[in-house]
Amino acid sequence: MSEPLVTYLPFKAGLPPMGTYLRSLLKRRAFISEFARSELRNQNYGSVFGQLWLVLNPLLLSAVYFLLIYVIGGSSDSTRFAHLTASLFLFYLVANSLTGGVKAITSGQRLILNTSFPRIMLPLSAVVIAFLKFLPTLVVAFVIHAVVGLSYSWQMLWAIPILTIALLLATGLAILFSCINVYFRDISSILPYLTRSLLYLSPILYEASSVSDSIKQFQIVNPIFYLLDSWSRVMVHAQAPELFSLVHAFSFAFMIFVIGTYFFLSRERDFAVRL
Amino acid sequence: MISLSDFKHEHPKASIAVSIKELGLTYKTSIEKKPTLKARIKTLGRGKKHTRIVRAVDGISLDIHYGSVLGVIGSNGAGKSTLMRVISGIIPPTEGRVDVYGSVSTLLALGVGFNPSMTGRENVYLGGLAAGMTEAEIDENFEAIADFSELGESIDAPMRTYSSGMYARLAFSVAAIVEPDILIIDEALSTGDAKFKEKSLNRVKELRSADRALILVSHALATIEDVCNEVIWLNKGKLMARGNPAEVIAEYQKFMNVRKSASSDEDV
Ligand SMILES: Nc1ncnc2c1ncn2[C@@H]1O[C@H](COP(=O)(O)OP(=O)(O)OP(=O)(O)O)[C@@H](O)[C@H]1O
Ligand SMILES: [Mg+2]
Repeated sequence: MSEPLVTYLPFKAGLPPMGTYLRSLLKRRAFISEFARSELRNQNYGSVFGQLWLVLNPLLLSAVYFLLIYVIGGSSDSTRFAHLTASLFLFYLVANSLTGGVKAITSGQRLILNTSFPRIMLPLSAVVIAFLKFLPTLVVAFVIHAVVGLSYSWQMLWAIPILTIALLLATGLAILFSCINVYFRDISSILPYLTRSLLYLSPILYEASSVSDSIKQFQIVNPIFYLLDSWSRVMVHAQAPELFSLVHAFSFAFMIFVIGTYFFLSRERDFAVRL
Repeated sequence: MISLSDFKHEHPKASIAVSIKELGLTYKTSIEKKPTLKARIKTLGRGKKHTRIVRAVDGISLDIHYGSVLGVIGSNGAGKSTLMRVISGIIPPTEGRVDVYGSVSTLLALGVGFNPSMTGRENVYLGGLAAGMTEAEIDENFEAIADFSELGESIDAPMRTYSSGMYARLAFSVAAIVEPDILIIDEALSTGDAKFKEKSLNRVKELRSADRALILVSHALATIEDVCNEVIWLNKGKLMARGNPAEVIAEYQKFMNVRKSASSDEDV
């Protein structure tokens, strides 16, 4: 008799055979793009006005925050506005991945209970969706940069590795939280408070240099502090980022990605019985 | 994780398609409706975990051969769907093992209708892609699927606007058009209207072939007797009987009647 194509054995916490897993993930990559496309079309981003809203929404949001800074701080200039928008856009890339990812598994219940596929495709799709929503805001950031009359330099190419780190972090967070949410369903309701706190604890409404010394020592534990700081330096001030900032951002992103992926992959076969 | 398009092997008649050995599956669900952090913290001090243990499949051994049409019967909650999920690799067994010698498609397994706010068309594509088909393969089959389902323009309406019969039609159409080595149809035969039921039954008969294994789960005993050449009867996760359709069904009906009259006796 021939060898079986597949054998199903009892669940043990531990990584699945990675070669096979990656191969079947790669084979289904079309799912991720198709899913993202359908989802965006569904949220009305297929229409012209929908796409306009995609740009308008973060722009209005930054206008509101700008007003807030102006009212509270009294001082505001156009560079400040450019910093605010650029940072806010990157922040929303991470935050949208997180909020989209957290429910990726629990809302994919029907698919999970009826099809066998690498479950990690679902949180990955959430990141792709967040990224597609981020792209038009990137254009807006450049337009603002030009309108405000900020300088350009080759150092701005640093934006590419920084964006890559941001995506790594976003992916890690989406994967980690989608997994946690299977076991603790209330995480998704706590999440808005977490992202909101993160927003205020990061150099978005203010610049990193203006943080008082007594609080400065805590920024090292904020995974996105140095990421956003580097982003603003590069995108707004057209300066090279500090090496320490890059290393910090990458270390956090990498750590969260590895931890999240490990948890996810070792538990994913167990998801179906818990939904 | 195999995918539908990976394997299109020739299977010699009567070679084994699925081999199940001493299979057991236990669901552990928490008493609370949903597992939450809050609930976990509340029960932290008490040490005792509030879980309900359901033995859905209990020590089943079974070989399914190519060329056979296996009917699966049993009362609600007998573990039929659970067994099918284990065979398709969706749920890992708690004990025992399952060897599969081909590509498996479970009906509804194509995950059709997984996102109710998306259209039928999008769901067919997403379900197919998740099951490992390529876009080209779905393109190729889509017309046939839409035709078979007779949904007409509704195929481009969001699935939340579908009736349960329309859901079942689409799900059945996907599974019936895509031709896997091992096709599992769980309960989808009985939801359509009379005309569609007849049509799907005919399709199942067409699909019977020497190099395919069909597994039908249904409460429609007459249908099972009509199309299957072997029937298994599950009760509370245990394999009660296996063999000739007429005999197993008769045995099952007798069992159900006995229990019914016994309970009605108690009422007196
Ligand atoms: N996700 C789950 N979590 C916990 N228990 C479950 C889950 N799914 C099924 N069960 C339990 O497992 C047992 C078998 O369920 P299953 O769905 O396999 O029955 P079935 O034979 O398909 O029934 P039906 O004829 O109604 O479709 C039932 O007692 C059910 O309560
Ligand atoms: Mg069932």
